[in-house]
Amino acid sequence: MIEFKSVTKRYSNGAIGLQDASFTIEKGEFVFVVGPSGSGKSTLLKLILHEEVPTEGEVYVNGFSIHNMRRSEIPYLRRGLGVVFQDFRLLPNKTVYDNVAFAMQIVEAQPKEIRRQVPVALALVGLSKKAKVYPDQLSGGEQQRVSLARALVNNPSILLADEPTGNLDPGISREIMYLLDEINQRGTTVIVATHEKSLVDEMEKRVISLDYGRIIHDVQKGNYTNEV
Amino acid sequence: MKFRTIKYMIREGFSNTYKNLLMTLASLTMVVSSLLIFGLFLLVTLILTFNLKQMEKQIAEVVIWLDKDIAPLQADDIELRLKNDERVLKCDRITKEQAFAELNEALEDPSLLKGYTPEFLSESFRLRLKDAGQIDEFAQEMRTFTGVEDIDFPKDFLDKLSLILKWINAGSMFILALLLIISVSIISNTIKLTVYARRREIGIMKYIGATDWFIRWPFIIEGIIIGLVGSVISFVITGYLYNALETYINSEAVVSGMSLIRMLPLKDIGGQVLFVYIIIGVVMGAVGSIISVRKHLNV
Repeated sequence: MIEFKSVTKRYSNGAIGLQDASFTIEKGEFVFVVGPSGSGKSTLLKLILHEEVPTEGEVYVNGFSIHNMRRSEIPYLRRGLGVVFQDFRLLPNKTVYDNVAFAMQIVEAQPKEIRRQVPVALALVGLSKKAKVYPDQLSGGEQQRVSLARALVNNPSILLADEPTGNLDPGISREIMYLLDEINQRGTTVIVATHEKSLVDEMEKRVISLDYGRIIHDVQKGNYTNEV
Repeated sequence: MKFRTIKYMIREGFSNTYKNLLMTLASLTMVVSSLLIFGLFLLVTLILTFNLKQMEKQIAEVVIWLDKDIAPLQADDIELRLKNDERVLKCDRITKEQAFAELNEALEDPSLLKGYTPEFLSESFRLRLKDAGQIDEFAQEMRTFTGVEDIDFPKDFLDKLSLILKWINAGSMFILALLLIISVSIISNTIKLTVYARRREIGIMKYIGATDWFIRWPFIIEGIIIGLVGSVISFVITGYLYNALETYINSEAVVSGMSLIRMLPLKDIGGQVLFVYIIIGVVMGAVGSIISVRKHLNV
């Protein structure tokens, strides 16, 4: 499903994003990507999204070759990926419902389909009652749920979350992480870049640890620090 | 592209135009001022060309001198041919007697012509062509007629005039093109501000998997709306200015008894001006949008 083959990403300013990284993520996995700031977590997610391209090596996502792809194919790669960001990235001038529906309009879904799927996605994240509310009237946790609903509404095979709880209180973070787990239980591959040590340790998922762009551990049922 | 997507884009374009009212007004001001500068220059060029053409018409009198001893029937024949020629606007036959009378008048001293009869003069035709540009060719043709002695027309002057017209044409084309490029860049800069304010939205759309055209179209429609509205506003303003100028020039003409400048009636050129405004306004808006969005699509 996702395969990195000796991937190195150097930025134009000389900074190393990722160095000689190789790993495979299978369908239905739940993977934490951990490491200190600047260790390459975001670079890894950006490569999957084709926001960046590898300097060396090969990246395959859902059958697309990220290292060798036409610009016009990018939208179609991304339609198979749901993305959640630390800062939620909701459209402030659209209601909760419209924010989620927007993701379907973009992929030219049938209006009938939109009317059916959006309430399902909102119910999944527990926000059915807030459909007509604007994002700035919601708490941070609720906003992140909306962005989750938006990421899921097109039934992506992979869900990427870049520090999804970075702006949230611990209790809310926990809720979001378990929501991600629930989504994973339904068959979506979930990849989460995070700093949340306690939650990573508690949830016992596969953990890929990065430091200075290198993979230092890749452990099934691992924890944040992975002291052996 | 599906029909509902087109509908969605048009709706987005309209609602964005309305939602970003301040930016819309800024762009609109830019479109209107560019079009006004462009339009006034265009009108000045049109009026100048028109007046020079009028002048050319007035000056471009061709005189055809006939042989002194031409048979009257032959002269009649030439007259008929001239009057039936499609290029000829007006043709007056000047008999020997008329020519003699004119000469007499011109000399102011009738005693000079004492002893002469009209017979020593030639008969002639004075004519005007519909298109002064054909004058050279026409004269060449006339020279080959039997019975035609000579042909006169202000060749040097006409040549100079047509050269001036050519330069005015080329120069105004160049300046108009330049104005257009400047306008597009000013407008795209203004639209850039709109787009910058919405770069987050564009970024989100890109992450969700929107194609570039899907993102671009609402902006283009927004640009077209602004261009259309701007061109109509500019047209109305141009009309008022033009009418005011026309009234002023006409009143001057009444005072001085004559007018150096003749205005083209607005109803004759109004349609063309509006058409040009709309085309330019729409193109400026659309191209400006495409240029402004481009940078933000590379996510």
